[in-house]
Amino acid sequence: MQRLAERIKVAAVFAPGCQIKPVWFEWRRQKHAITEMSYFWKDCCGDATRLHFAVSDGNNLFELMFNASDQNWTLEGVEER
Amino acid sequence: MDWPRIILHIDMNAFFASVEQQSNPELRGKPIAVIGAAKRTVITTCSYEARAFGVKTGMNSWEARQKCPHLIFVVGNNRKYTYTSTQIINIMREYTPLVQVFSIDEAFLDVTGCLSLFGSAERISHLIKARIKEQMGLTCSIGIAPNKLLAKLASDMQKPDGLTIIAPQDVAKVLERVPIGDLCGIGKKMQQHLSRFGIKTCGELGRFPVDVLKRNFGITGEQLHYMGQGIDNTPVIPDEEAEEVKSVGHSTTLEKDITERREILMYLLQLSEMVGRRARKYKVAGKTVTLTVRYQDFTTFSKQESRESFINNSEEIYQAAVKILDSIELTQAIRLLGVKISNLRSHTEQLPLFPAERKKALLANAMDDVNNKFGDFAVTFGSLLGRDSGSKVISPAWRPEGLRNVDVD
Repeated sequence: MQRLAERIKVAAVFAPGCQIKPVWFEWRRQKHAITEMSYFWKDCCGDATRLHFAVSDGNNLFELMFNASDQNWTLEGVEER
Repeated sequence: MDWPRIILHIDMNAFFASVEQQSNPELRGKPIAVIGAAKRTVITTCSYEARAFGVKTGMNSWEARQKCPHLIFVVGNNRKYTYTSTQIINIMREYTPLVQVFSIDEAFLDVTGCLSLFGSAERISHLIKARIKEQMGLTCSIGIAPNKLLAKLASDMQKPDGLTIIAPQDVAKVLERVPIGDLCGIGKKMQQHLSRFGIKTCGELGRFPVDVLKRNFGITGEQLHYMGQGIDNTPVIPDEEAEEVKSVGHSTTLEKDITERREILMYLLQLSEMVGRRARKYKVAGKTVTLTVRYQDFTTFSKQESRESFINNSEEIYQAAVKILDSIELTQAIRLLGVKISNLRSHTEQLPLFPAERKKALLANAMDDVNNKFGDFAVTFGSLLGRDSGSKVISPAWRPEGLRNVDVD
């Protein structure tokens, strides 16, 4: 996976039960609709909890990260198929 | 026959590789190998599809590629694995409080007292399997037996996604032809020793005169005798009841073999900071500092030195490690370095009386405060700036909570 670490705009559904589901994101002026979320994990960096999502737009695999402390979304990496 | 205890051993199948295959659907059904983030490309684990070609854990990438030319290498993500493991352990704890984490991908459960709640051990196994499959898409192999030794043996009998039961009345029959090496605790060296007595199977080990075993192996001889008979009375010990941790240590396999003192010292400083930070986090200090060195030919040795006072300050640990290093004549390039403090006692903060010591303690506190907020190595020693930080390998001693919960990059 190519590591990027780019701040991006993401639309997500915050459902009851602490479930966050990213729906689409913008990257390089293109909107990517998320068709599948294949994995989810959490980690911490200092006192910030970070939520990681492995998602696909039907073409490529992306890793999105939501920092619960500063409320920012980052595109951590992309695996182009 | 009655079951005195009912023990489950749960073993995640090709854990890291399966997590990667779930994360990236393109990898499912394909031969993949997980490698460390460092430039050394030793295989941490591989998928069952890769195993079918003869790829094994510990092989280097070149060797693995010879076995399986279309093998896909994936750089591991330890934090993904520790999170997943913690979630899995939490599922297990919903069925019994008696969960002993054996490693990141293995655990023992004592379900003897939970049957009235959930039905049979088989049903509990199916429920746990289904939950893990549904939440993470992963499979595991479960062994059910009257003790830990046999439960572990049982879980190994059917992989992947197996469920094997060894009932008390079947123990002797099952063990008769099982090679001794299949028992947890009998390694290659012990196998060689036992083969000198003509012992190759558990049946042969169980029947072998215990006196001869004791004479040759001491206390272990008696244990071996019981192991051969499938007897193991060790309890399932949950982490909160486990013995106190006796040491805090970190080691790292270096990106390349090194000989230069400047480089060695940098790694020692980094390791000392990791040890000191974890010791301070869990409020322990150690009196003995140990330095471990592995040469390029894999010769490994440790040297330790006890101090007059207990320490957990990174700089003091570093100074002690350097002192040990200076007492060693290095004869080869170094492949791995490790720093450890042991002889631990709980350490409640008391600011030193003398200004120089006080300054040092305040500085360490200030660094810890910043690193607690922004992450490890956010503030560090100048000579470590720009270096990769953190532990690259999940230690077998990793646990989801407490002093053994080592942060891994």
